[in-house]
Order: sequence, then structure tokens, then C-alpha cells
Amino acid sequence: MPDLAPITVGESETVSTSTQDQTPILSLVKESSPTRSVDDAAGPAASDRTLDWSICMARAQKGDRQAYRRLLDEIAPYVRSVAVRYVQNRGDLEDAVQDVLLTVHAVRHTYDPMRPFGPWLVAIAKRRIIDGLRRRGRASAREMPFDSDHETFAAPESNYHETASEGRALREALQELPAGQREAIRMVKLEEMSLKEAAATSGMSVAALKVATHRGLKNLRKIFGKKDGRT
Amino acid sequence: MITTPDLIESLVAGAEPVRRLRPPVVRAVTWLAFAAALVALLAVSHGLRQDIGARLQQPLFLTSICASVFTAVLAAVAAFIVSLPDRSRLWLLLPVPALALWVSTISYQCLTDWVSIQPDRIRLGEAADCFATLILTSIPLWLAMLLMLRYVALLRSAAAAVAASLAVAAISSTALSLFHPLDASAMILLWNLGTGALLVGLGSAFWEKMFSWVAPR
Repeated sequence: MPDLAPITVGESETVSTSTQDQTPILSLVKESSPTRSVDDAAGPAASDRTLDWSICMARAQKGDRQAYRRLLDEIAPYVRSVAVRYVQNRGDLEDAVQDVLLTVHAVRHTYDPMRPFGPWLVAIAKRRIIDGLRRRGRASAREMPFDSDHETFAAPESNYHETASEGRALREALQELPAGQREAIRMVKLEEMSLKEAAATSGMSVAALKVATHRGLKNLRKIFGKKDGRT
Repeated sequence: MITTPDLIESLVAGAEPVRRLRPPVVRAVTWLAFAAALVALLAVSHGLRQDIGARLQQPLFLTSICASVFTAVLAAVAAFIVSLPDRSRLWLLLPVPALALWVSTISYQCLTDWVSIQPDRIRLGEAADCFATLILTSIPLWLAMLLMLRYVALLRSAAAAVAASLAVAAISSTALSLFHPLDASAMILLWNLGTGALLVGLGSAFWEKMFSWVAPR
């Protein structure tokens, strides 16, 4: 009887549910390496794993959420490895994987634990992935992607044109100031030091720094006013 | 867009216990029992044709009836098997021998007698009556099939719909051969395969909507 398969395995099943992430859930499944690659579907590990999945699904059909979470966590990378053969775009790939998981969820009652899990999953995955490709093919026939050609560089800051030019204007204006005022502005305003720190760094007195900063700002205002055509 | 781990969490949260499907043959028998009950009810309300005793003596008629019944049985089994994701699509060939036998006994009377023109009036022919019986049998059978195969909307809708429409067509045809003196098989096949095609078309256009109506989520 298919129903008994997950139950008859005995104590190891009940004990291992709490530590399921570290240990295989059932002793009846031969242990395989924890770093299994997703591409070994044809290898001997695959049959072990699908037996494992088969048991998880049988328990999930009875409402065992632990087993179901474990199953979905494990099949997601496997489904991705199937989908990547058909779908190259990363966003579409994740859509395809999610579509397959949703379908597995919706039709989980059609799985018969007497039969192997692998073919069942692969049949659903292929079906949904190919359907998805058809849908996207139809959509892309009348849509145009909004690509990022207008962005010159990958780094976001390089595309803040205004900020960049304002920064350059400020640096140029600073060059026109007398050296004392320039240093005062740089330390107190641009590097945001306190007056005491700036005094310690530069050797100027606090009062002299205050005056220099004040005059520097006044001069900067004048310079920018001239540039904008105002006085 | 929801991330895959979040999706898994939400699916796990909604993982109520589900009842596993019975084996496809058992489900086919359930559907066939429903079909038999429907035909029996119609026989009670409509009455069998007058010459049924004599007709059953004729080998051709008997062959035709048996072939359509066999087609119905095999097509129903094929529909339920092929609706499961991991079964081979070759199961669709299961009803082909019975179908071939049945088609070889079909004639085209029913397509030709829609209206009869008489000296005093034009009246609906026997074919119109045929058509009414046809609709009465096939619609409940279709609804039952749709309900039982609702999960297939996401999988192999076309394959399952072909087998299902064949099963419905064969049952309707058997019923009509028992009730009406005309051989309506050609019309029935056209009607039911047309319905099947329509459902597949609607399904592929609106599958999400259809699925959300009938699917238990």
C-alpha cells in the first residue's frame, strides 16, 4: 500500500524532523554527500534523492509541512537546472521556476507515491516551462523591452550628471579662493570637522578659522553669483 | 515580484492535506458508471426506439453499438491516464482500434435530415430531435469530465480533451443508436470533437481564469 511507505520507516523519521537540515530525514534512503550538484540527475545520487522526494511528497500530501518545505527547498534548484536549458534570461528563469513550483503545489494530489517522483516532476516542469516560453513568445511579439542603453556606466553615481557637474564647479571655485580660506572651507564644511579638530589639524586658532570660513563662503557665493549672471 | 524562498514559504503555509487521486482506471469506471446512469435515465424518459429488438439481431448494428461502447470505455481510460503528468502520451492510442471499427460502421443519415419539406409545411426533421438528445447526453458528461480532470488545465489539456471528447462522443452515440432510428454517429463525432476543440481553445486562452474557478487551491 502506498500510504504506508512513509509511516513504516519507524523511529528515525520522527526523531529526525527537528534536525532535518543536517541529516537525511529517513534512514531507509542511502546517505549521499551534502553538497550534491544539481546536474547529477542522471547519476546514482539522483535515484536516491528522488526516492527521498517521493517520501517527502507522500507526507506532504498528508499535510506534513516540514516535509513539504524540505521537498520544495530541494526541488527548486533542480527545477532551475532544468529550466536553464530553455530560459536564458535571469528574470524569466526565476518566473519559470516559480510557475513550476506553483503547479506542483496545485497538482500535488496527482502524484502517486508508488511511482518515481523524478519523471513526475520533470514532466510538469517541462510542460510549464515550454508553455511559459510560448506565452512569452506571444507577448514579446507585441512588446519592446525597455533596455538600459541610456546608462553610460554600470556604477549608479556616474549617471548622476547634475551632481557630478556641481561637484566639479565647487572644486573649481575653491581653487580661486586664497589658500587660508580654501583650507578652512575644506576642513570645516566639506570634511565636516569640528572647529576644534580643524584648529588642531591646521594650527590656526578657532577664531581665525571662523573668520576664514565666513569669508570663504562669502567669496564662494560671489563666484557662483557671477557664474549665474548675478552679482 | 515575490522571491522563490518567499513563494516556498507561502506554499508551505497553504499545504493542507490533499486526497490522492484514485488510480485512473477506477476514475474511468466512476465516470462510465455516471454515463450509464445518465443513459438509463434518458431511456426511461425518452423510451427506446420501436425496432430495437429487430435491430439488435443485425450484426452491423450490434457491431456498431459494441464498438462505440468499447470506444467510450477505452477513451475514458485513456483520458484519465493521459491527464496524469508522468504517463506516456501514447496512451492516447488506446481507443484507436475500437474507434476504427466504430467509424467503419458510421453512415451519414443524421446529417442529411435536418428539415423535411412536406406539401403543406416545413417541419423539423428527425435530426433536430437527435440533436436535442445529443445535447442532453453530452453536456452532463462533459461537465463530469471537466470536474474530474480540472487539474489538467495546467498540464496536458489538449491530449486529455481529445480523449475525453471521444469518450463523450461514443457514449452519446450509443445512447442515440438506442433511442433514435437514425444513425447519428457522424454528427455526434463532429459535435463532440468540436466541443473538445472549443474547450482546449478556451482553456489555452483563459486557462488561468478557468483554473481559478474549478481548482481547489
